[in-house]
Amino acid sequence: MGKISLLLGALAAACLFSLAAGPAGLAPDIIWNLRLPRTLAALAVGAGLGLAGAMFQGVLKNPLADPYILGTSAGATAAAVLCFLAGVERTSPVFFLAVFAGAFGATFLSYWLARLAGRLSDAALVLAGVAVSAFLSALVMLALTAARERSFSLFYFVLGGLYSAEPGVLAVSALIIAACGALAMARWRALDAMALGAEGAYHLGVSPERERALFFVFACAATSAAVALGGTIGFVGLMTPHIVRLLTGPSARSLLPAAALGGAALLTAADAAGRTLFSPAEIPAGVVMALAGAPFFMWLLWRGARGRA
Amino acid sequence: MPALKVSGLTFSYGPEPLIADLTFELRPGEFMCVLGPNGCGKSTLLRLLTGYLRSAAGSVRLGGEEAGAIEPARLARLAAYVASETATPYDFSVRDTVLLGRTARAGLWRGYSGADGEAADRALHETGITRLAGRSINTLSTGERQLAFIAQALAQEARLLLLDEPTSHLDLKYKAGIMDLLRRLAGRGLAVAAVLHEPALARLGCNKALLLRRGGAYAFGPASELITPAALAPVYGVPPDSPLLPK
Repeated sequence: MGKISLLLGALAAACLFSLAAGPAGLAPDIIWNLRLPRTLAALAVGAGLGLAGAMFQGVLKNPLADPYILGTSAGATAAAVLCFLAGVERTSPVFFLAVFAGAFGATFLSYWLARLAGRLSDAALVLAGVAVSAFLSALVMLALTAARERSFSLFYFVLGGLYSAEPGVLAVSALIIAACGALAMARWRALDAMALGAEGAYHLGVSPERERALFFVFACAATSAAVALGGTIGFVGLMTPHIVRLLTGPSARSLLPAAALGGAALLTAADAAGRTLFSPAEIPAGVVMALAGAPFFMWLLWRGARGRA
Repeated sequence: MPALKVSGLTFSYGPEPLIADLTFELRPGEFMCVLGPNGCGKSTLLRLLTGYLRSAAGSVRLGGEEAGAIEPARLARLAAYVASETATPYDFSVRDTVLLGRTARAGLWRGYSGADGEAADRALHETGITRLAGRSINTLSTGERQLAFIAQALAQEARLLLLDEPTSHLDLKYKAGIMDLLRRLAGRGLAVAAVLHEPALARLGCNKALLLRRGGAYAFGPASELITPAALAPVYGVPPDSPLLPK
C-alpha cells in the first residue's frame, strides 16, 4: 500500500530528524543516551494521543473531539501534578491509576455537561471541555504556585516537554498505549457504526452505551499514559485523525493504526523542531504543537461553519 | 409466523399517552404505511418496535421473540431500520456505508467476508445505486442518500424493514421510485412498515395501513379500506373533500 509506506516514510524521517536535531551535533553518546530515549518517548506519546483522538472523534461522531479539547489531558495533568506534590513515585501503579482517574473523570464531566446542556452537539461538547479544562488548569496553577521550590520542573511538565523520559515510565506508558491500540482495533466495526450516531449504531447491532464506555476507557487510558510520560501536549489528537483520514478514509480499521503512526511522526517532528528552531534554546513540544494546532482548530471551525451555511 | 406482532403497546413521554393499547401484526409480504398528524407518535412507534425506546406496557414480538429482551446484535438481524435522516461528518463511501449494515453479522478483528461483500453489492444493485458505490455519502443528493441507507438496511438481511419518512424532502420521481422499491421488497417476502408524511403515497403499493391519531386512538386494516377520504379526514382534521386526501 502506497499510503501506508507514505506514513512509514514520514515516521522514519521524523525519527532521523529527532535523532540528529540539537546543538551538540552528531556525537554518538548524545544520540544514544539523550536523543534516542527522547525520540522513543515522543513516538509513544504521539501514538497514544493520535489513537485517543481517533477514538474520541469516532465514538462521539464529533470531528472536533480530542483529548486536549475534551479536558482529558487537563484531568490527567492535574492528577499527575497532585501526585508529584504528594510524593507519589512516577513509576508506581498508584501514579498511573491516579492519572487515569483524573483523565476519565474530566472526560466524563465534559460529556455529562454537554448532555445536560441538551443535545450532544459538536459545539456543546467543546464548550463543556473548555470549561472543565480551564478549571483544572487553574487548579494546576494554584498547586504550582503553592509548591514553589519544585515548580520549575513541574512547570515544564505542564507545558508538555519530553525531557526526562525515565525508562520505567517510558516502558509502562508504551505498553498501556499499545494495549489500548490493540483493544480499540478489535472493535473497529463498532467505532465505524458509532460514526453514524448512537441511534444509527444501535440499529446496526451495536450497543451505544457499552461502546461509548469502552472507548472512553481506552482513549482515557492512552491519554493518561501519554500525559504521564510527556505532560500536557495538545492538538496531536485533534490534527492527526484529520490528516491521516485523507490517506486512509474514515474507516477505523485503517484509521486507528494510521492515527498511531501519524501521531507518532507528528509529535516526534514537533519535538525535534522545538529543539532546532531557536537553538540552543528549546521550545517544549507542547508549545510547538499549540502553535501549529490552534490555527488548525480555527480552520476546522471555519470549515464547519461554512459547511452548515 | 408474523414478522412483527404488537399487542397492547402503551407509551408516553409525559402524563398524556402517546400510544395507547396498540395492537397489530405484520406478515412477510405485507407493506404497511403508518399515517397520522405531526406529533401522533409515528416515529416513536418505530423506535419502540426496535427496542430503542422501551414501552410502558404491552409487547413487541419480532419473529416470535420479545423485542425488549433481544441483544442489539441479534435485533439488527431481525429488524432493519432506516432513520428519516442519518448524518455523519465523515466521508464514508457509499459501499462502506452499506457494508456497515453487516456490523451485526461480523466478529471482532476480521475484515468483511466474501458473503458481506456480496450482500452489500446485492443491496446496491437492488436499490439501483451500484454506480454510486465509490462516492462519499456526503456528496450525494438527498434521494441518493436515502437509497444508500435503504441499501444499508437491506444488507442486514432482516425480514422486517422499518422506515421513518423515507420519502420526505424528495422530489416526486424519487418518491415514486422509493415506494416502488419498497413494494418490490415486500413482493419478495420482506415485511415492510414505512411512516409516510403524505397519505396519497400509500396508494403506491401499500396493502396495510395503520392510522394513528393524537392521544392514542388508532385504526389498523387493509389499505384499501383505510386509505379513503372518509377514514383519513378525521385523522388529519381536514374536511373529507379536501384535495390533499387521496380519492
